[in-house]
Amino acid sequence: MDLGLVAQYTMNGLMLGMMYALVAVGFTLFFGVLDVIKFSHGDVLTVGAFTALASFIGLQSIGLSSDAVELLAMLVAALGAMALLGAFIARAFILPLRSAPALNTLLITLMLGTVLREAVRLFYPDGANPKPFPRLLPADSINIGNFNLRLDNAILLTAGALVIVGLQLLLNRTKLGLAIRAVAQDEETAKTMGVNFNAIVLITFAIGSALAAFAGLMNGLYYNEINFGIGLYLGVVGFSAAIIGGLGSIYGAILGGFLFAGLQTIGAVALPFASAYKDVFAFAVVIALMAWRPTGLIPEKLSERV
Amino acid sequence: MTNHEANSLVIEGVSTAYDQANVLENVSLTAASGKITCLLGSNGSGKTTLIRSILGLTPPNRGSIRFGGVDLAGLPTHRVIAAGIACIPEGRRVFAKFTVEENLRIGAYQETSDAAVAQRLAHVYATFPRLSERRDQLAGTMSGGEQAMVSIGRGLMRAPKLLLIDEPSLGLAPILVRENFNIIRRINQQGITVFLVEQNVHQTLAISDYGYVLSKGRVVAAGEPSELGQTRQVHEAYFG
Repeated sequence: MDLGLVAQYTMNGLMLGMMYALVAVGFTLFFGVLDVIKFSHGDVLTVGAFTALASFIGLQSIGLSSDAVELLAMLVAALGAMALLGAFIARAFILPLRSAPALNTLLITLMLGTVLREAVRLFYPDGANPKPFPRLLPADSINIGNFNLRLDNAILLTAGALVIVGLQLLLNRTKLGLAIRAVAQDEETAKTMGVNFNAIVLITFAIGSALAAFAGLMNGLYYNEINFGIGLYLGVVGFSAAIIGGLGSIYGAILGGFLFAGLQTIGAVALPFASAYKDVFAFAVVIALMAWRPTGLIPEKLSERV
Repeated sequence: MTNHEANSLVIEGVSTAYDQANVLENVSLTAASGKITCLLGSNGSGKTTLIRSILGLTPPNRGSIRFGGVDLAGLPTHRVIAAGIACIPEGRRVFAKFTVEENLRIGAYQETSDAAVAQRLAHVYATFPRLSERRDQLAGTMSGGEQAMVSIGRGLMRAPKLLLIDEPSLGLAPILVRENFNIIRRINQQGITVFLVEQNVHQTLAISDYGYVLSKGRVVAAGEPSELGQTRQVHEAYFG
């Protein structure tokens, strides 16, 4: 195999990894502050992608045709609406269930995910079929040997990386981040320091859900097509990535996301039985990894084990 | 209301229950402004539950808890803290994955002025030079004595009018216990009202202005440290 092809596959793997990492980080943030798994997370991504598409169509219908303005509006609409949806889900369904067994939260979010997914399928015009997603980024490309570097892909990848760096700065350099990390470590002591616990939980769910919306937008712009099931798949992968990384660890979630994408890419390229089995291969390796390291690659509660 | 009364903690008729079982029964006490007031009692007497009730972590079922003219009973914890209260919790409860400085900064979470935070940070580092040397160390990797300094420093970062201290001597070597009690006295001399909950009778009474004894969720004795040290109830509360 020549280098150009390797570069092509690497680019694709990085793109997938970035989306998985963005979803996985949400799972890990929610688990950090509330010790809950929110299974509707992937479907929030779907709703985010469809919100972006709907706002694009809305802008077209009022005759706006600047790609940059449209893209910006889609970004603001999708991220803003999903941040609100995430905070609403936390307020209405997750915080009230705090005294109930964790299994109940898991079940309610699983059902909520189905409701969101089915709502997109049934209420979005012709929502049962895949929808074309507009190409809004410049599609110029540079050929380096067999490797075709597309400008839109480079932009998406850079934007994703910037979002992750931004999140990292928010968590480690700001007072809000300090409060989120304090709540994740010890809820009661954080409250005793004067942190408004409920507000921090809602903000964290808003941030995680906005990240999912960003991943949904990336997905649409990369494949130029979305359907009501994208979030279900990305949710399962993102959840697995968060688990292999060590639930609760941000770096672990990012690592897990890229690891999973790497496995899929290897599965698609290097194995004789070809790309149809790439998920089988990737999930099989995840199962093996979990058997080897049951608490994930970067265990969250490392300090308690030493 | 005078300034003095404003900084007194007045607890009246507080009863608190965990799942049906009453832990506190009709507890009334006052931590007078500018003084050190202690609450003595053995394990399981309900001392920590009283602290949790004041903080709103386990809200009381009945009674009032007043500080600075506000009834704290039933308020969420962050609003109790906003009334000018800080707590040095039982077992220190430092944030293990935070550096020393992050632990101190979260102590001043409700302070919006960067200048005030910087000033308090300098003050805490002056009080505990050891913390200044180790400001970038993760608190979880420090010794028990050093964590106690982090926990006290974190409480001071709030610049509280009232400081609640829950079992500062727990799990510390005797020499560190003595040092901690000296620090508590110095904190009080800066004008901070102290409500100290302890098992350690003698050293606690030695620094207190007034004391109460809690047994099985009820206040069974109260008085000046000199008289309280002699009372039957103190002995019964521990051994009876």
